[in-house]
Amino acid sequence: MEHTPRSFDAVELELLWRRLISLVDEAAAALVRTSFSTLVRESYDFSCVVTDAEGQSLVQATESIPSFIGTLPETVKHFLRFFPAEALRPGDVLITNDLWLGTGHLPDITVAKPIFRHGRLVAFSASTAHAPDIGGKIRSPEPREVFEEGLQIPPMKLLRAGEPDETLVAIIRKNVRTPEQTMGDLWAQVVALDLMEERLHVLMEQAGLHDLSDLAREVQARCENAMRAAIAALPDGTYHSALQTDGLLDKPVTLRMALTIAGDRIEVDYSGTDPQVDRAINCALCYTYAMTMYGVKVCTTPTLPNNEGAWRPISVKAPEGCIVNPVFPASGGSRMLIGHYLPMLVFGCLGQVVPERVMAACGSPMWGMNQSGVNAAGKPYANMFFFNGGMGGNVHGDGISCLSWPSNVSSTPVEISEHIAPLRIHHKRLRPDSGGPGRHRGGLGQEILIESRSDTPIAVSFLAERTIFPAFGIEGGQAGAPGMLRINGEKVDPKRQYVLQRGETVLLATPGGGGHGDPGLRGPGALAADLASGHVTDPAPYGR
Amino acid sequence: MTASLSLGIDIGGTFTDLVLLDPSDGRIVIWKESTTPDEPARGAMTGVARLLEKAGVAPGRVGRVVHATTLFTNALIERKGAPTGLLTTAGFADVLEIGRERKYELYDLFLEMPQPLVPRPWRREARERLAPDGTVEVPLDVDALLEEVALLVAQGVTSLAVCFLHAYANPVHERAAAAAIAARFPGLSLSLSADIAPEIREYPRTVTTVANAYVRPLAETYLDRLEAELKHAGIPGELFLMLSSGGLTHVAEAKRAPVQLLESGPAAGALAGAWFGRQAGLDRVLAFDMGGTTAKLALVDEGEPLVAWGFEAARTKRFLRGSGLPIQIATVELIEIGAGGGSIARRSELGTLHVGPESAGAQPGPVCYGRGGTEPTVTDADLALGYLNGDFFLGGAMRIDANTATDALGALAGRIALDASRAAFGVHDVVNENMAGAARVAIAERGRVPRDYALLATGGAAPVHAWQVGGKLGIGRVICPPGAGVGSTIGMLMAPARVDRVASFNQSVAAADWAGAERLLAALETEAAAIIRASGADVERRTTRRLADMRYVGQGSEITVVLPDPLSEQAVLATFEAAYRRLFGRTPPGAAAQFVALRLSLAAPMPGAGSTLRLQTHAADTALKGRRPVHFPEAEGMVETPVYDRYALAAGTQLPGPAVFEEDESTFVVGPDARISVLPDLSILAERLS
Repeated sequence: MEHTPRSFDAVELELLWRRLISLVDEAAAALVRTSFSTLVRESYDFSCVVTDAEGQSLVQATESIPSFIGTLPETVKHFLRFFPAEALRPGDVLITNDLWLGTGHLPDITVAKPIFRHGRLVAFSASTAHAPDIGGKIRSPEPREVFEEGLQIPPMKLLRAGEPDETLVAIIRKNVRTPEQTMGDLWAQVVALDLMEERLHVLMEQAGLHDLSDLAREVQARCENAMRAAIAALPDGTYHSALQTDGLLDKPVTLRMALTIAGDRIEVDYSGTDPQVDRAINCALCYTYAMTMYGVKVCTTPTLPNNEGAWRPISVKAPEGCIVNPVFPASGGSRMLIGHYLPMLVFGCLGQVVPERVMAACGSPMWGMNQSGVNAAGKPYANMFFFNGGMGGNVHGDGISCLSWPSNVSSTPVEISEHIAPLRIHHKRLRPDSGGPGRHRGGLGQEILIESRSDTPIAVSFLAERTIFPAFGIEGGQAGAPGMLRINGEKVDPKRQYVLQRGETVLLATPGGGGHGDPGLRGPGALAADLASGHVTDPAPYGR
Repeated sequence: MTASLSLGIDIGGTFTDLVLLDPSDGRIVIWKESTTPDEPARGAMTGVARLLEKAGVAPGRVGRVVHATTLFTNALIERKGAPTGLLTTAGFADVLEIGRERKYELYDLFLEMPQPLVPRPWRREARERLAPDGTVEVPLDVDALLEEVALLVAQGVTSLAVCFLHAYANPVHERAAAAAIAARFPGLSLSLSADIAPEIREYPRTVTTVANAYVRPLAETYLDRLEAELKHAGIPGELFLMLSSGGLTHVAEAKRAPVQLLESGPAAGALAGAWFGRQAGLDRVLAFDMGGTTAKLALVDEGEPLVAWGFEAARTKRFLRGSGLPIQIATVELIEIGAGGGSIARRSELGTLHVGPESAGAQPGPVCYGRGGTEPTVTDADLALGYLNGDFFLGGAMRIDANTATDALGALAGRIALDASRAAFGVHDVVNENMAGAARVAIAERGRVPRDYALLATGGAAPVHAWQVGGKLGIGRVICPPGAGVGSTIGMLMAPARVDRVASFNQSVAAADWAGAERLLAALETEAAAIIRASGADVERRTTRRLADMRYVGQGSEITVVLPDPLSEQAVLATFEAAYRRLFGRTPPGAAAQFVALRLSLAAPMPGAGSTLRLQTHAADTALKGRRPVHFPEAEGMVETPVYDRYALAAGTQLPGPAVFEEDESTFVVGPDARISVLPDLSILAERLS
């Protein structure tokens, strides 16, 4: 039978869109509440999405973090290459954590469920969540190849027509430090997929939809047009930016971007960026893509709903083998140490045409401390605590102190940290003078002093950047304070793993954000308030 | 003559609602007075005098006064509390400013985060340290602490919060600090985290304690003043305060922990929903209140509003989770949505029809008010659809113009390429979907199903929208109670006394100290019962609920379950697993359960609380006022529909749908496929036939 495309008016479309959003949000709420992973529960390190039968996203959960918004629909498309429609059955659940097909590091597990209606594949519900553990060398920049980073799950079926693959489950359980929690989270993801499927059936029934193709085309086209209009409003041209990261201390990494605005399209090219390295800071193209899109979106269409259409006018390319497009068997466990810089590069380019829509550099990438060991009862454990630096100043005001950006990972409460790990945290406080001076100064970083109280050794590794190259200021603003990592008072290489004995200490100091505008123009009231609070102790950079 | 009457006073932002109840026969008298924001007690007392005059009652007959107020919430929002200091464990003075380190909006580079209630110079540190299990690692340095406090007092601090790490596990240092400070600075108001919110997680505990300290001097002055004024006016009755939990407490407890009163008004509204639901014989009710700017939804299970153990106050972005201050206090769970009669309908950036959250408010108001509003609102759509009566808006006190509404809607339709005849119902339908969508997520979060509930509509706009919101949710029964305009105040008058207490209890279920748990719960009950008894409530008829916050080891969020009696490993596990399964569908294999905290919730009926309600009705020959065309989607257009004066309808009346019921403050609209009955308390129940 010939398919007559259905059209939707402004009311129908709004109603269906609302329903779609509420169904992914419902699934996200269920996932958050059932998850074991601190990252999912307290840091929302997950996403839920509904795509059409081709894997093109229609709607994504509101609370998702930016990276998964970009990667998850791509993973669903990869699934379709391995399992075309005719190889899928109702009740199947697909799974992978492949570095290149997934999110660029192994702890993120993606699952997807094909949804059938009247025997025809009409949609996928899919979810990515950060697993409590995936085996391998604990999240550290040290691994040289992906093989050292833990269990790799190629695209395969976790459930076949509703029946779990017990072989796969047994292999996962054997390869992770926390089998109950890792599997518990995986089943929580499956529950979320089921919920989306069920709600989608109800919606299609009530709206009289046989499939999602017409609706998908319409919502995607609307987002695409809005993105194109926003880009078209920007002056054409090719804009360049570059920055250096700490990289491997003895060897900084240079990142380069050329961003071309041509009519209603943006092309981003990372040519000239340094090659991949034999440490786990390589940033797979899937993650590069997601972080680049995020940077473009915050400057152009911050309020646009997330779906496939919004990304179509933007293309991203990077030479094979460079650090933002590494090739097998590169390691990538700490990819955010490169990836979190990428939106900053976008700001470097777009700031040349819309300076009011960008901010000075942030004290990101995010900082973290991973610990693993064997507890007093002889059980292996692993924990990751996150800490954030300051945001950059912007045309409207000061950068916010200690805020996760571009990711959105909240810090673990001190009292929770001390409950789950044999550690004492002696202080967690703002770093005075760490915000880059400016008319609007950068947000402050923080300083955390941690001591081991464990009778058994604790292996620690870190996420720590901007210890050499601080967050720069813009429009005449100055750089924030660089970050600092010390063990027992000694400066150490943040990219290596260390072992802590009882009584030994780690000091982490996250970087401050860069300032915006000439510090000499800072209002006297604002400076006086900073001096009173101790956020600024030295007024010299402000010329006073 | 005995002092047997109950007086309810609910001070809101614009109006102070007053209701006088005679509990012996349920008769009520209502008065609305303008709020006097500079000195709220003044407006309240003026209202009291006028209400008593209207009722023809001597002040000496008022045996009980029940009170709710937005005063403390406003003090938080407007940052008008006391100069407040904070004392923390050394190294953690910045907890309050560092916060959760998380954005509440992903794509906004220019976020405004909530400012800490205590500025950095007034956040001081004390040398002391406890381990996570509460053992002392560094003893408290009292002398150094007193020096810090002296500094604060010298700078004008009048209220002090004390929040030490792990104080939920052992209050010893907070108590020692308080004793020393009270001895040296007897005039300083003190709030301890171990008293106010003894729960793990230092940021929300500190915020809650600080918020309490911030409003406490205000609460003390205000409540003393109000008590004195009531006495002065010759009212012998004791004053009780409405808590956010939906219970009442006495003045001393309210002055000790006023942070418990932040959501007192909305809680009373939910309580009214529960009460009217019970009157109608329904124990599962979705209480739905819709005013000019916002809609609020509250779930009522087994006749009681659901209570959450924390909420967010003073959001910088009203409807965005994470933009406010986390307050760890028992609070009636409310879902707030930016949807009201004044919500503006606009073209979204994607060309679809958006409704709200922007609101035209009262000024300029909807287009049909003729006060200069040009953008169509929900009220304009409701008028164009025949749901509202242009000649009988607010009981005929105000004329509204359907033609201007229709024109504005037509213009909007043109901007979004919509068939003009679809515009009005489109606006109505979209705002209904916004509310239904929020309700769906909220109900699912709790593992419930909407169709098990009845929808109970109060507030000006909810009765207009309830029938169709119910339809979207698959809800078959919709109720519109009488006196909806002062529903919250009525809820307060019916409220029981209530105390909620929490204690940290970090133990695995497999190795729990059951005797210790029993002792802890008994101690909480003794403390709670003392407050209930002092409130004059009937302790003999109390209901005690023993609850626990539980999770699987390794999880970071807890669920609250009702504990079995007596406690045993087997019974507790079974209860927890059943609750977990209901919420989440399945339990994780091989995981171990643990306690995080024990809770005690005690409620007892208040003497003088009402059990029935009698509103003044007027006899009329016929309740049928006339007919008018009203739009119903089932009929795909306008249907000639009977319009009734609801207070002329006798209890027991049965009618078919469609029908419209008018009263001064609102209009209840029921679609064609319905059976309608007037209940004994004059609530109108509409049931869907298919």
